[in-house]
Parts: sequence; C-alpha cells; structure tokens
Amino acid sequence: MTSQPTTPTTTATDDVVRVEDLQVNFYTQLGVVRALNGVSFNIPRGKVLGIVGESGCGKSITGMSIMQLVASVGKTEGGKILFNESAGGNPINILDYERNSPEMRKIRGNNISMIFQEPMSSLNPCYTISDQIEEAIRLHQTEDKVESRKRAIEVLTKVGMPNPDRIADSFPHELSGGMRQRAMIAMALSCTPTLLIADEPTTALDVTTEANILDLMRELQSEIGTSIMFITHNMGVVAQMCDEVAVMYLGRVVERATVDDIFYEPRHPYTIALLQSIPRLGRTKGILASIEGSVPDPYSRVTGCPFHPRCPVAIKGVCDTILPEETIVDAAKGHTVRCHLYS
Amino acid sequence: MAVDATQLPHTTATHVEDVGQIPQWQLMVRRFRKSKLSVGGMYVLIVMYVIMLFSDFLAPYEHNRLDSNYAWGPPSQIAIVDGKLSTFALKQTLDTERLQWLYVVDTDRPLPIQFFVQGYEYRFLGIFPSKLHFYGVEEGYQVNLLGADKDGKDVLSRLLKGSQISLTLGFVGVVISVIIGSIVGTASGYFGGSIDNMIQRVIELLRSFPDIPLFLSLAAALPQNAPVEIRFFMITMIIAVIGWTGLAREVRGKVMSYRNADYTAASVAAGGSHWHIITRHLIPNSLSHIIVVGTLAIPAAIGSETALSFLGLGILPPAVSWGVMVRDAQTIEAITTYPWMLLPVLVLIITVLSFYLLGDGIRDAVDPYA
Amino acid sequence: MLNYIARRLINMIVLLVAISFIGFFIIQLPPGSFLDVELQRLRSLGGDVSRDQIKALELRYGINDPFLVKYWKWVERSSRGDFGTSYMTDQSVGERIWGRLSVSLGLSLFALLFTWLISIPIGVYSATHRYTIPDYVVTLIQFIGLAVPGFLLALILLIFATRYFNQQVGGINSSEFMDQPMSVAKFIDMVNHIWIAVVVLAFGATAGLTRVMRANLLDVLNMQYIQTARAKGLDEAVVIWKHAVRNAIHPLVMSLGTLLPALIVGETLVAQVLSLPTIGPMYLDALRAEDMYLAGTILVMLSGLLLIGNLLADLLLAWVDPRVRLE
Ligand SMILES: Nc1ncnc2c1ncn2[C@@H]1O[C@H](COP(=O)(O)OP(=O)(O)OP(=O)(O)O)[C@@H](O)[C@H]1O
Ligand SMILES: [Mg+2]
Repeated sequence: MTSQPTTPTTTATDDVVRVEDLQVNFYTQLGVVRALNGVSFNIPRGKVLGIVGESGCGKSITGMSIMQLVASVGKTEGGKILFNESAGGNPINILDYERNSPEMRKIRGNNISMIFQEPMSSLNPCYTISDQIEEAIRLHQTEDKVESRKRAIEVLTKVGMPNPDRIADSFPHELSGGMRQRAMIAMALSCTPTLLIADEPTTALDVTTEANILDLMRELQSEIGTSIMFITHNMGVVAQMCDEVAVMYLGRVVERATVDDIFYEPRHPYTIALLQSIPRLGRTKGILASIEGSVPDPYSRVTGCPFHPRCPVAIKGVCDTILPEETIVDAAKGHTVRCHLYS
Repeated sequence: MAVDATQLPHTTATHVEDVGQIPQWQLMVRRFRKSKLSVGGMYVLIVMYVIMLFSDFLAPYEHNRLDSNYAWGPPSQIAIVDGKLSTFALKQTLDTERLQWLYVVDTDRPLPIQFFVQGYEYRFLGIFPSKLHFYGVEEGYQVNLLGADKDGKDVLSRLLKGSQISLTLGFVGVVISVIIGSIVGTASGYFGGSIDNMIQRVIELLRSFPDIPLFLSLAAALPQNAPVEIRFFMITMIIAVIGWTGLAREVRGKVMSYRNADYTAASVAAGGSHWHIITRHLIPNSLSHIIVVGTLAIPAAIGSETALSFLGLGILPPAVSWGVMVRDAQTIEAITTYPWMLLPVLVLIITVLSFYLLGDGIRDAVDPYA
Repeated sequence: MLNYIARRLINMIVLLVAISFIGFFIIQLPPGSFLDVELQRLRSLGGDVSRDQIKALELRYGINDPFLVKYWKWVERSSRGDFGTSYMTDQSVGERIWGRLSVSLGLSLFALLFTWLISIPIGVYSATHRYTIPDYVVTLIQFIGLAVPGFLLALILLIFATRYFNQQVGGINSSEFMDQPMSVAKFIDMVNHIWIAVVVLAFGATAGLTRVMRANLLDVLNMQYIQTARAKGLDEAVVIWKHAVRNAIHPLVMSLGTLLPALIVGETLVAQVLSLPTIGPMYLDALRAEDMYLAGTILVMLSGLLLIGNLLADLLLAWVDPRVRLE
C-alpha cells in the first residue's frame, strides 16, 4: 500500500470540483429511479479522488453529471457542481449551463475530460485514432492541421504507444484493448485538462495491462498535475492510485477520508464490510460478493439510513427511521461519515 | 470497530430478487404487454381468425351467388320496423344517360332480418356439414350489409369467404419457409464444412434471383385449371421456397456463435449427441429470433398473395380471396362511385398492419436491446 | 481491391449462367406454348388456321424443340448480343427491353434518390426526438407506408390529380408529346406524369428505410463512442451526423443492392394502375403469352442488375466502414 502525503481537506482548501447535494432522478417507463440522493464531495487540486461502491450506487452518474452527459431521461433536480479552473479563481456552477451550450462544450474535453470503462467500444470504429484525437485538439486548441497532427503524435508518444506514427493512422479495430485504452487516455489528455474523470478505466483489461495503465496514469498525473476522479470497484486499485476516497452507497457518499484512513480507520459499517470482503491473496475482482444481501430496488425508497437493512449494527428505532447526517469525525484530515453511530 | 461481513443479514428488498427468478418467457410477456399497439394488433388478429373459423356460418350467401337485381347494389339500410330489425327491398332503375344502376329504397316493403336461417350448404371447420347461417332475409331478396359487386354478389359474404384463403395462405407459407429455413440454417451452421459450403452456394444462387420476377414466373407456371386447393397449396409452396433463404442465413449465424459458446462445449464434452445439442441448446436459443422473423414475414406473404391475385396469377375466380376482390377495385370508377368495393383493401391493410405491430412488439419483448 | 472485383465478376457470370438455366426452365414450364396462346386468340376472333399453317409456324419458332435445344439457341444467340425475337410482336427482344428498361431504371433511380433523401433525415429526427409527438407521427406514417399497398396509393393520387389538379395522368407523356424528340416542354410534361409513380414507388421503401434508420441510430446512440464524442465537447449536431449516422447507415447501404431491382419490378402493380411503359408489365405480358425468350431475357437482366447492385453496395460499405474487409 502506498502512503500518500495527506493534506487536510477542509472547506478552505483549493478544490477543482465541489459537488454539493447533487440529486439526479431518472424518469423511466417503470417508475422513477433516484440515482443520486444528495451527493457531496470535493476533489482537491492535483489529487486523485477515488470513488468506490457497489454496482448501481451512482458512481458513473456522478461522473457524467460533472460532464453534463447524463442521458436525457435523467434529470438533475438539485445541488451544485462548482468547478474551479485555476487556483484562486472564481468557481463556476456547471449546472448553470445548458447541456449542449457553447460554454459547456468549451469545458468538456478541454477543462474536464473523461475516460470510459469499455476501451473496446469507446472509440468510433469509422475514424482513425489520430482523426479522433485531432478532433478534440482542433476544437479546443489549434485549428492548424499540421500542428494538431503533431500534438496528436506527441500525446500518443506520451502515453507510451509503440510506433505512434503508424498507430495514429490505424482504425480502432486494429488495436488491442490495452492500446485502445492508451489511445483513450491520450485523447483525454490531449488538451491538458484540469480534471480527468476515469470511470473504471481498467475493469475490462487483463491484470498485466491493468497494472501498466495504472502506472501510466499515476505517472502522467504527477507530470501534468491533472486532478483525477477515479471511479472503481476495486479497493486494491484505490490503494494504488488514490489520495482520497469517497465511498458511495445508494446515491449518497457515506464516508469520505484520506486513503490511509479508509484502510486503517474505516468508520462506516459499509466501508468496513467492503474492506473485509477483499480477499487477502489472489483475485481482487468481484470483491463485493461477500456482502450479504443486495442493493435494494432502485425504484423503491428506503426510510432511514439506506444501509440499515443490511447493517449488522443497525440501531432499532433510529437507523430505520432517521436519515443520518454527514458527521465530521476528523476535521483536520477531512474525514466525514454518514452514520448514526457517530452522531 | 469491527463488523463481521458474513453476519450481514439478508436484504428486505425482495422485489429485486424476484426479477431474477421469473422465467425468461414471462419477462418477455411482461415486456410485450407494455406495448399497447402490439397488444391491440394481437387482439385484432385473434378476432379476425375467429371470424374466419365461423365465416361460412356468418356469411348469408355463397360467395358466387349472382343476382342481377343487385348489381352494384349499395349497402343495405337497416331500421327497426314494427319492432323488428329490418332492411328494405330495392327498386332498380337504369340511368340511361350515365349507364348506371340506380337504387331506391322501398320503405313500403320492409324485409325483417331473420336469424339462424337455412341457406347454402357448407362444412363447418371443414368437417361438419351444415346449412345454418347467422342471418338472412326472405327468399327472393338479398341483404348486402356491405353492398354488392358488379354482378350483385354480396361483398360481406365474399370478404368472409376470402378470409379463408387470405388469412391462411401467407401464414402457412411463412410457417413452411420458417421450418425449412431453421432446419437448413441449423444444419449449415452446426455441421459447417462442405455441407455448409454447399448450402451456402444454393442460398447464394436463390438469392441472386430478384424475388418478384421469380415469384411471378413460378406463379405463371402453375396449371390454370387446377382446383383451388391445389393452387392454394402451390402458391404456399412458392412463398415458402422463395422466403426461407434469409432466415436460414440468420439462423446459421446464430447457431455458429452458439456452437462456440461454453454450454455447447460442455454438452459436447459430456458426450451429448448432435440431436441433443441441436434440440436442447441451439434451437431454443434461436427460437425467439425465428418467431420474430416469422411474424414479420407474414404480412409480406399476405401482400404477395394479394399482388399475385391482383395480377391474375394467384387465386383465380371463381374462388375468392381478398386479392381477387381487390382486383375488382382497381378502377377509378369503382373507387369513386362504389366505395364499398374498397373494403377488401381496408381489411387487408388492417390485417397487415396488425401483423407488423404484433411482430414489432414481439421483437422488442424478445430482444429489448436490438 | 481489383482482384476482389474481378473475382466477384467471375462469380457473377457463373451465377448468371445458372440463373438463366433455371429461369428459362421455369419460364417454359407451363404446358402449351406461345403458339397455343396465339392460336386461341386468332380462333376467338373467328379466324381459322389450317394444320399446315400451324406446322409451318411451329417449325419457324422451334416450338417442338426439346428444352435443351431451345435453351442452347437462346444462350448462343444472346452471347452474340441477339436476344432473340419476341413472339408477341416479332420485334427484337433487345430493342423492346431496352426502351422499357430505361424508363424503369430512370423511374427507380429517382425513387431511390427520393427514398434516401427523405428516410435518412426523418429517421435521424425521429430517433433523436424519441417519444415526442413528431416521432409518433413518423412512426404512424411508417406503419401506414408498410401496410398500404402501392397500387392503392397510386389510385388515390390518381383521383386527386385528375379531380383537383385537372391533370392528365397515366403513361409517361401526354399524347401530343408521344413521338416528339426530347425538349424542355416534353421534359416538364414527363415530370408531371411521373411524379405520382415516383412518390408511390418511394413511399413504401421510404417507410421501411426510415424505420431501419431510426432503429439503428437508436442503437448507435447507446454506444460508448457517442459519449466519447460528446465528452470531447463536440456540438450535438456533429456528434449525430459525423459520429452516429455514419455508423447507423450500414443497412441502408446494403439495401442499395436489393432496393434497385425491387423498385424496378415492384412497380409492376403500380405501373399497371398508372399504365406506365415499364419493364414490370412487359414481363408479366411475356409470361402470360408464354413469350419465353422475352421473359427469360428480362429475368436474367434483372438478376444481373441485382448482382451488380450487391457488388456496388459491398464496395460502398467497405468505403463507409473500415472494419468491412473485401475478401
Ligand atoms: N439511462 C438510465 N435510465 C434509468 N436508470 C438509470 C440510467 N442510467 C443509470 N440509471 C440508474 O442509476 C443508478 C446508478 O447508475 P450508475 O451507472 O451510476 O452505477 P455505477 O455505480 O456506475 O455502477 P457500475 O459499477 O455497475 O458501473 C442505477 O441504479 C441505474 O439503475
Ligand atoms: Mg458505472
């Protein structure tokens, strides 16, 4: 486990993004899905924030909300996403912009970019790698064709692509999964964004490729200084990549702490269960299998603490009726938790 | 603070677990019900096929019964006279200027509609001889609820009789073609090698024929004076022979991918026979797809029968199908002066539309992501 | 590439030979011959034909030759560019077909163009505005287009055109232009005549393709690379037209191969209603009159068109989608 220097994160720190009480609902034929029920967290400048939680807890939706890329059936019905381009600058609320407005488009791909889970399908099969990278460069940086091509090759070299000149003119189907993910990272970094949102960028890759890509991201992060929001299932990856961690459960952040605190001083019963389900040896995938029960139906609403039906230490009469507020357990390190045990 | 993860109790949210336990087909039924239009299409078709079964009983006259007193006769007026549901006799006069029959309703001569009357003889469901008909009027007069054609043949009776051919011919043709297509496609995909190669050649050749001309020339080769049953059978076969190739290709593709799937490999390893593997694994996996393709092919086949009959190459008079009736409706005169001649077209459109809606709904239910 | 095309062309010739054999076989299947049909017609007109005359005619047309001999005669002459003489009119088959085929081709190309120009934008619109009222309207029209037979549409338009636009319809030219060389006036007259045919022909195909386009685009819009494109900051219109449509257009390109011959023959009923001098009704007449050289030649020509259309579609597809390999 790498130990990162832990900076205190209080409200006074310089954050790239502050998400406050974000609520997103999906209006589907079968009913309303409350995907995010008041998500709050911050990403300190130059740090890597890990977002972990079970499948369906709203990790991807949180990332997409920052990009304003949530499918149009999903409505943002409250909260703020404050984005601060440079230290000491004025934060802007991303949600003030229309999805397809010029302002929003200027932020996307330029100031904030995103990498997706599936490298196999993240690239358009009809265009070459360099076409797709240059598209972003020409949109945000330079209109010059020679220059954009040069930068595309540069960034491909930077992500460790072998033979970047030749790869640039290949089509996605001619590359392996790892190479495609490198190409995606190159595309995301091509305009040196302030924030990179990586949504499980390595889940679809084999273990060796995964390790390479993670190393690469860590390297580039310290080199460029980009802040990263790193979404994952995998606590092992969290330990390797992140400075800080937010644990999500059913559309809420239930615990937020530095990576050391999460591993050595976890507070929320859900975080504890998550950690205990990591096998000591061998496979690190499918770690959540041993938490009993499953996530409740997204269409229904659980009263009280959403985790109480599965919580071994739930307090009768409290946990099943009152929703716990966010409580600060260690102000200096910015450790907060949403659990009645600590309020 | 330590919590033993293994002691975490079960969730109370049973709803989610439910979904996992419902059999696949029940999920499909649920999804299908969601689509109102498709369900509507299904009900329309059920009604139509039930009516078809009772068509002889419901039809007041034999489909070829001529009556020059009712040539181009309009739909009968219905009223209640002396507490009885009645229609009226018609007075026929010739408009010598425009050479048209004119009809005047003779309100002094009401004809009470009689129910469960004796009429022409038929075989109910093709088996039981009967003379019973749902309604009729006094001998010597005619009630044409939907009007009459140029020879005074009752349009409703013809529509009912025509449904026996029109609703079955395309259907049977598609069923046969689906059977051929699935068998050949499965064989081709499962055995591969030279069998596959040969089958693919044959399919390629058949597909190189433009279907409509091939269809027309095959139909033109049918004997002209064969009885209607034989013609029916042969047209069915033509539809089947032309239609199976597309499905065979698709089934082949599916079977090839399933053949390489884990469970097939497992079955082979466990010593499963070809027959076992094909019937237990490959066919069930392609079945939903086959049903979808079949349902969507039926309206096209019904259209083919109509087109053939319209061109005089399909069902031939004196037999009647909707296509034969449509043939009588192809002039501007028929449409503008005797609009009831368009009823078979309307019925056809409704049938075809219902099949498309049904097929669409089944497709969405079976494969929500395609 | 050239290698591929050459191989396809050779394959095509082999197929055409097989088609001509099977096709000719089917076409000469009906008992009796052209002569019987003709004699029946003469007799019904009250004429009398003597035995000797019949013998002479039979000999002249090779009526009693065995199938293979007939087939061979036809193939051998066709390979010299002489497709035989139509029994019906004693005209050269090549000449008769050519006149009709050009009308059919022109009409179908117009219809094809019309189909594409309409179905792509409408399909895109209804996919990107799913569950809105215009989308429902488009869906409704699509189903109607699928279910309403072309000839009925033709009739309805015919009635409208004659009643409300006081227009002479049917055929492709008014009588006064019939035998004149092409001129601006004649062209306008022609457009006035054929618009109904083009609309009717295109309507069914447009309905089908719009559905396909909509369904495909919906699939493509769920793809991850569409999110990637949006995440770059591209305008939604660019995302749709550059990244999505190009991936959704495959089946449309593929349909190109089958659509053209289908349109050419599909107009048989429509042509009958509108009395258009196209290939469909001619084929039908040839079949009815058992004019087998004419019918056979048309069948083979249409198959050739289908095969060429398929080849073109495959080439176009390889150009649109780099994943498609020509092999
Ligand atoms: N398009 C949509 N329509 C309806 N509900 C949606 C849609 N997208 C997401 N959701 C719902 O939002 C919730 C959160 O989804 P999200 O994709 O953020 O999960 P996740 O935490 O990223 O899971 P995973 O680890 O599997 O990627 C889920 O319950 C899901 O059902
Ligand atoms: Mg996700």
